[in-house]
Amino acid sequence: MPALLEARAITKRFPGVTALRDVSFDLVPGEIHALCGENGAGKSTLIKLLSGLHAHGSYAGEFSVEGHVAQFRSIADAQQAGIAVIYQELAMVPELTIAENLFLGCEPRRGLLINWEKLYTDARTVLAKVGLDIAADTPVGRLGVGQQQLVEIAKALSKHTRILILDEPTAALAEREVDTLLALLRDLRAHGIACIYISHKLDEVFAVADRITVLRDGATISTRIASATSKNAVIHDMVGREITDLFPRTAHHPGEILLRVTGLNVAPEAGAAARLYNVSFDVRAGEVLGIGGLMGAGRTELLMHLFGAWGVRLGGEVNLCGKNLDAASPVEALAGGLALVSEDRKRYGLVLERDIGFNLSLSSITRMRRGLLVDEETEVHTNQKFFTSLRVKAPSLETVVGKLSGGNQQKVVIGKALMTEPHVVFLDEPTRGIDVGAKIEVYELINRLTGEGKAVVLVSSELPELMGMSDRILMLHDGEVGGIFSKTEATQEALLHAAMGRNPASV
Amino acid sequence: MKAKFSFRDFSLLISLLVIWGFFAVVSPQYLSARNLSALTVELAITATLALGMLLVILPGHIDLSVGSGVGLIGGIAAVLVFDHDWPAALAFLPAIAVALLLWFAQGTLIVRQRIPAFIITLGGLLIFKGVFWLVINTHTVPVSHGGRPNLFSLLTTYYLPQFASYALIAVVLVALVVVTLRGRSRRAGMGFSVDDPELTFMKLFLTAQGLLLFVLTVNQFRGIPLSVVILGAVALLIQVITRHTPFGRHLYAIGGNEEAAFVSGVPVQKVVIGAYTLLGGIVAVTGLMQTAYGGASTTTVGDQMELDAIAACVIGGTSLRGGRGTVLGVIFGALIMASLLNGMTLLAVAPEMKFIVRGVVLTLAVWMDVKLAKR
Repeated sequence: MPALLEARAITKRFPGVTALRDVSFDLVPGEIHALCGENGAGKSTLIKLLSGLHAHGSYAGEFSVEGHVAQFRSIADAQQAGIAVIYQELAMVPELTIAENLFLGCEPRRGLLINWEKLYTDARTVLAKVGLDIAADTPVGRLGVGQQQLVEIAKALSKHTRILILDEPTAALAEREVDTLLALLRDLRAHGIACIYISHKLDEVFAVADRITVLRDGATISTRIASATSKNAVIHDMVGREITDLFPRTAHHPGEILLRVTGLNVAPEAGAAARLYNVSFDVRAGEVLGIGGLMGAGRTELLMHLFGAWGVRLGGEVNLCGKNLDAASPVEALAGGLALVSEDRKRYGLVLERDIGFNLSLSSITRMRRGLLVDEETEVHTNQKFFTSLRVKAPSLETVVGKLSGGNQQKVVIGKALMTEPHVVFLDEPTRGIDVGAKIEVYELINRLTGEGKAVVLVSSELPELMGMSDRILMLHDGEVGGIFSKTEATQEALLHAAMGRNPASV
Repeated sequence: MKAKFSFRDFSLLISLLVIWGFFAVVSPQYLSARNLSALTVELAITATLALGMLLVILPGHIDLSVGSGVGLIGGIAAVLVFDHDWPAALAFLPAIAVALLLWFAQGTLIVRQRIPAFIITLGGLLIFKGVFWLVINTHTVPVSHGGRPNLFSLLTTYYLPQFASYALIAVVLVALVVVTLRGRSRRAGMGFSVDDPELTFMKLFLTAQGLLLFVLTVNQFRGIPLSVVILGAVALLIQVITRHTPFGRHLYAIGGNEEAAFVSGVPVQKVVIGAYTLLGGIVAVTGLMQTAYGGASTTTVGDQMELDAIAACVIGGTSLRGGRGTVLGVIFGALIMASLLNGMTLLAVAPEMKFIVRGVVLTLAVWMDVKLAKR
């Protein structure tokens, strides 16, 4: 059968990183083709390329749709060619009805006015295609996530989509909703619609996919027929990477327990269902506890909650340095000796329009006082100390933070956290988006901190980093502890199995 | 922290000189001692309120209720003094207390209930206006009996004697020189870049000239108005708060990036409530001055003053999104607004034209700011 979509030797570079290297991929009509790989393997980049988000010309190589070379300059071009992407975060207006959302921007008209009759009749036809039996005048906000997703798919179908790309579509769905979705995909396949299905959940992948392509480090590793391969083979393809000696983790002698978390249950907001269930672990002085898990496993939420910046605690206890910590806000967490370096430094870390000094001392400024006023001498002196010891590359403390490179911005955020003299330091993806040199500096800093008897909790989506830098590794799976591994137990396979909530013995 | 002269500050200075030059040419009385004295009193009132407004705009909020508040607070004090024969000083206390309480309440509603400041203070604008009219019973209530001066009326009619005026300016000048030089050597000691000595000298010299010219002029009339001294005190206070306290840092941090400030351990809610409460105090001071300036509390006292205050902030380079703005800028902004208004009044410009000119100047200032920010 001729390929519906064929990508040949695609290479996409970002400054400093090659996201896709010589990737080839094809999709035949009426096929569900799963795309697997670790975080950062290049799946999202490939999708963005196929959907026109990375315009033609920004990458090398080419891809064709139905034999025609595609030169998308925008999402609209891709839609025109029959490609639609359903993202994890749904893009609908909750206040508008299902029908209004379905035809947003392309409402049927009569003259200048909207033809409401046709709008609702058409909506009913489209909804029937996805098997959604709900009145088309229901506001989308009243639907569950699963139903909203079906509306999104219906919307795609109404635009004569022939290639449907689903990016982690089941991340937020309940089990029954997952079944509905998979059944729908099979049904669409029978009607000749092809689907690229991205998921970390191998059970689903094997339940629905015809072929599976594995990406790793931006390259195509394998394309296999699903019925002729095994989960273990796919996992092996996903992780089979040599860990280089990038990680200068030195030996440590763990001391007393500094942070102990017992039976933690947390919901995003009051009245909502728990997002973290029964999480227990402890961290000792001088130890690095790595926390891994797939996207959406709850790693960031766990750190942010302990730090007092996320969620409502339903149960469980947190003990920091022998004292109960139910941090209602970061103010208390910081006072208790906890510091956090957030994964999103621009959003949660920095005041970009201010200078380095302002940002460095922001968390400590209330303690640097002489009477009611800021003791500027102490402040500048302390800032200077961190500026030098962290080797921030900038002309002076008065350089505006927004002008720094990612690595140097990260150093400022880390400096701000360390200036509070914490006992326990949370580092959430501390090396994301920074260059190799800066990464190694971060690793050396982790060693220095544990050398000083602090405890470090390191969240990372990169397994090699996690394995290279941690003394123990906790894998989260869907808000639960999937397993805690010592350095010797932690093989890539074991970690990944834990992250996917699968018991290796049952494979 | 920084003591650099930006092009923005210069652009304000130039606009100001242009405005003064224009009015000086078309109306010779504009630069007369009497008129300049009146101008400084008007400036003092507008600028004081604008400095309070700065406190809530810095963390990214706004306050539309200050104009009504000015009327209400002045009204409360006037009623106590005129209808109930309270001594002026005693009447100030409940008036100020009411302002602090009302603004504390507004701040609390804004951050705890997460209602946009625009809405809460729009409600405040209407409610305070109504309460104000109830308080004065929609009559005109003089600030003193039979025009006998009391502390209330003196707020805008007292002038420092000549000698005291000179002494005050001398003290301010010496303080300015000491602070500048000390700050300069401290910055140099910490390895920061400093202006060259010549530029530092030029700035001080120009400032000294300006102050001297000011005191010579007002002394030809009656001396430095008390309200200008009040403005000076408020400006010094706000300068210290915004630049030299953790609270001030927090204001800028919240306006620059509220989420980052929160995660960095800034008590965001407390800081914003604190800013509103401080603004309440400044509204009280402004209310007393504005009412005294009119000689009586009448239904129109404070009308649209919130807009002048916001305009002064914006013209002075304050960002309505928060995180950017300085005391000096706001004073310049208020000076531009007050100079324009005073000049137009002198020329007997029709009220409708006054509105239009103020609107044009405001729009122009923001447009210029956007242009300059892009560079």
